Amino acid sequence: MEWANDGKSKGGVLAHLERLEIQVNRSRKNSEDLQRAQAVEGALRTKIHKLRCLRDELRAEAKQRQARIKASAANVEPDQTLEISEQEVAERRRENVKAILRAYRFTGLSGKLTSRGFCVCISTAFEGNLLDSYFVDLVIQKPLRIHHHSIPVFIPLEEISAKYLQTNIQHFLFCLCEYLNAYAGRKYQADRLQSDFAAFLAGPLRRNSLCNLLSFTYKVELQGQSVPFCARLRYKDLTTTLPTDVTVTYQGTDALSPSWEEQRASHENLFFSKPLHQVFTSFARKGEKLDMSLVS
Amino acid sequence: MDETLVEFIKRTIMKIPITEMMPILKAWDFLSEKQLQTVNFRQRKESLVQDLVLLCEERRASIHDAALLDIIYTQFHRHQKVWDVFQMSKEPGEDIDLFDMEQFKSSFVKILQRALKNVTVSFRDAEENAVWIRIAWGTQYRKPNQYKPVYVVYYSQTPYAFTSFCPLKSNMPLLGQALTVASNHHKIVKMDLRSRYLDSLKAIVFKQYNRTFETHNSTVPLQDRTLELDIHMDSRIIHENRIEKERVQRVTQETFGDYPQPRLEFAQYKLETKFKSELNGDILAERKEPLRCLIKFSSPHLLEALKALAPAGIADAPLSPLLTCIPNKGMNYFKIRDK
Repeated sequence: MEWANDGKSKGGVLAHLERLEIQVNRSRKNSEDLQRAQAVEGALRTKIHKLRCLRDELRAEAKQRQARIKASAANVEPDQTLEISEQEVAERRRENVKAILRAYRFTGLSGKLTSRGFCVCISTAFEGNLLDSYFVDLVIQKPLRIHHHSIPVFIPLEEISAKYLQTNIQHFLFCLCEYLNAYAGRKYQADRLQSDFAAFLAGPLRRNSLCNLLSFTYKVELQGQSVPFCARLRYKDLTTTLPTDVTVTYQGTDALSPSWEEQRASHENLFFSKPLHQVFTSFARKGEKLDMSLVS
Repeated sequence: MDETLVEFIKRTIMKIPITEMMPILKAWDFLSEKQLQTVNFRQRKESLVQDLVLLCEERRASIHDAALLDIIYTQFHRHQKVWDVFQMSKEPGEDIDLFDMEQFKSSFVKILQRALKNVTVSFRDAEENAVWIRIAWGTQYRKPNQYKPVYVVYYSQTPYAFTSFCPLKSNMPLLGQALTVASNHHKIVKMDLRSRYLDSLKAIVFKQYNRTFETHNSTVPLQDRTLELDIHMDSRIIHENRIEKERVQRVTQETFGDYPQPRLEFAQYKLETKFKSELNGDILAERKEPLRCLIKFSSPHLLEALKALAPAGIADAPLSPLLTCIPNKGMNYFKIRDK
């Protein structure tokens, strides 16, 4: 409280001036801020306005579409109760394609892509009968290799793959198909002989894994007598289902009459030209007389 | 009948458990139905065996009949023997093999008998064009020892033969020769594969153990097998290391597949390698000669145990290829040397 008269007016005036200056600055700043805020507000207002307009437009369009759908639904006949959605159509198409892919195995050679390559399925058949299926799972690498397979060990897979796998995959598969189908066919004939014509066999059917050597004794009724023969069929060509060598020998103790010799020779021919079980079917059917026209 | 033969038949029948008596005798098909009906199968085993031996004497059983019974018993109890695997090979470009079982048998017997007069050879055909061969060895001066026979199982037109462990090792080369020549092969080599489980050995060498193939007809796609951990767990349990666990599952499934593993009881590794050490100046690492050691893994079911190692957290996945190559390479005996 040391206010002299002079000090009072000096401190007071200067301080007052300072205060007034600060006030002016502040009010100036405030008005600037106000202006800025007002500008932003204006921009936001226009933006809100634009969005509101857009919303109204979309609402109007949605209403229009609904009205259109209602109108078209009203036009539909009341009998058509089924509404097949797009999804259902796609599902049905997918199931159809899947079924076709599954049915491919009936062509004998089908396959499926796997994560590493593809898996081939060889479905064997003989005379219209579907037999076993075999698989080869291939890995696509350089070199192409077999990951695993279900080919029987006595089929020469190593030979065939050494020859063709790297150079001609198509030939590899067709060659394998040939071997497997021929094996399946020979096996089918041998199985059928053992099961359906056991009555004709005088002893067990001797066979091997590849069914490429069959040996058996059988009896045929000739002129009222039961004549025993022994047949030995060799299949030297592993891609065929008919033998390459046939020997039929007479097993009886009596002398071989000329008519029986004729039979023996004709049997040999039959085994050469017809599948095994068909030959025996003809034996069963014809009984005594063998129709030579069977020999094709 | 010869006393030794009677004794042999008696001891063979004695081995058969009572529960298997009927099926084995039926498979043998030597005693007639009538004879079997006269026997009381509920009496004490010793008396039952006595009765059966008497019936065999009545029918005048020969050594071959007795040997056949021995084969059938062994077929029922194949796990009691330890089986080795031999691999035969042909010269390339050979003719198609027209294998004739009768020719094989007579050729086999001839080769053995030419070298060794005192030998009993018996055959029994089995499924899938296979044959079980029983060989009782004698010497030049002694009759065959029926109590230490060797069994051979051979599938026609394949390069593999399975033989039971033969205590009389000196006869093995002759056996190998007989097999090779009779089956139209040129060479025979013993594989490094041995087990009690004959069917597993067959599955391994014939590559029949993996029967899963992807087709359009199969319903289980491989990718969809989500982590089995999640299915049965309470949702309040959080899985630690979920990503790692899934990786381990995936690697295990890729290595071992989804199929049941063939059954082996052990894997043996003979190491002859230099010791590798990270420490400098390690005494063992300084050795010039390789270290020799033998590591043997045993298990009631070795491959399933190996498959379970990584998922159980006991080993890292992927496992060492020395362990996972066993069925692929068809080996469970390994010799490892430094390259």
